[in-house]
Amino acid sequence: MSAKLVFQEEKNPRGIPKAPFIANVEEYLGGPDGAVETPLKNFQDAIAKYRYMDANLTQRRKGLEDKIPDIRKTLHMVEFLQEKREDRDKNDDLEDDLSDEENSDNPEKPLTTTFELNDTLFAEAELEDTDTVYLWLGANVMLSYKLSEAASLLRSKLDLAEASLKATIEDLEFLREQLTVMEVNTARVYNWDVKRRRERRLAGEANEK
Amino acid sequence: MASTTSSQPQQINVADLDLQQLSDVRRQLEEELNHLTNSFAQLKQAQAKFKSCIENVREIKPQNKGTTILVPLTNSLYVPGHLSDAENVIVDVGTGYYVKKSRAQATKYYETKVEYIRTNLDTLQETIQKKQENMSYLVNVMQAKLQQSQTQPTKV
Repeated sequence: MSAKLVFQEEKNPRGIPKAPFIANVEEYLGGPDGAVETPLKNFQDAIAKYRYMDANLTQRRKGLEDKIPDIRKTLHMVEFLQEKREDRDKNDDLEDDLSDEENSDNPEKPLTTTFELNDTLFAEAELEDTDTVYLWLGANVMLSYKLSEAASLLRSKLDLAEASLKATIEDLEFLREQLTVMEVNTARVYNWDVKRRRERRLAGEANEK
Repeated sequence: MASTTSSQPQQINVADLDLQQLSDVRRQLEEELNHLTNSFAQLKQAQAKFKSCIENVREIKPQNKGTTILVPLTNSLYVPGHLSDAENVIVDVGTGYYVKKSRAQATKYYETKVEYIRTNLDTLQETIQKKQENMSYLVNVMQAKLQQSQTQPTKV
């Protein structure tokens, strides 16, 4: 009969198949005697796939939304260190907590900061005047970079993450649309089947009379 | 459900309850038990955190000021530096207050916290145990009832 593929049309830029909207159910099923079980099952499979993709993308989006502010903060910090090195001026506190603020004009004075030892525990430290910073890249990997390299690395990471986030959000919207189209298709095929059964039953009764 | 004259969670005349009510009570007890066990785990976590804080304070002590450390500026940015103040640490005491304490004071503070949690844990442990006993008693009664109803299907 008509075991047409559900996905035979275009895909969106990232390979998510587009769901075809079935305008004419009868034609799709191949005439008034078309089987509905197979198409219905295919639709259900497609809906399950869409839902799975939706869950994946939502997770990915959440991860990105968490990472991006972190990268921004780190980039901001590196830029700040760069500035300080270039200007050798006394700037604001690095941390919001109690850090020593001595407003001397001595350009060689190193920065003091309070840093986090533990969730509720902080200690004071002096930062050396160096142009090397260490970036934690995850997976037990930490590399040292010159300030400028660190800044450009962070900038590119940030851009990548933001682009990825944008793409993921687009994909999510696209998925929602396709999911709705699929559910509408399922409903229409099912209703058409119900109607057909009713007509057959009425025709059968009329014949018996 | 049939209430009792005692204020204990255990029903004294539990034998009067039918199976349905018994299973309801059992479900309720299970929920409470779950909740208490979760709280217990959370308290244990908090206690472990405070214990590690004590460790951290201890770390600051033996180090002399000149040792180079990597100072975290954000959670992925570290800058080399050294301790400027090896005698005081800053402790978050809650509601947005941060107090600069000496090492000894900070250690004492955390140890008090750990002790407080320990007493809470003990109390919680007792409560959990009592609930578990209630549960097993209830299950016994349920089984007895089940057997009873099976051997006397026409019991009125």
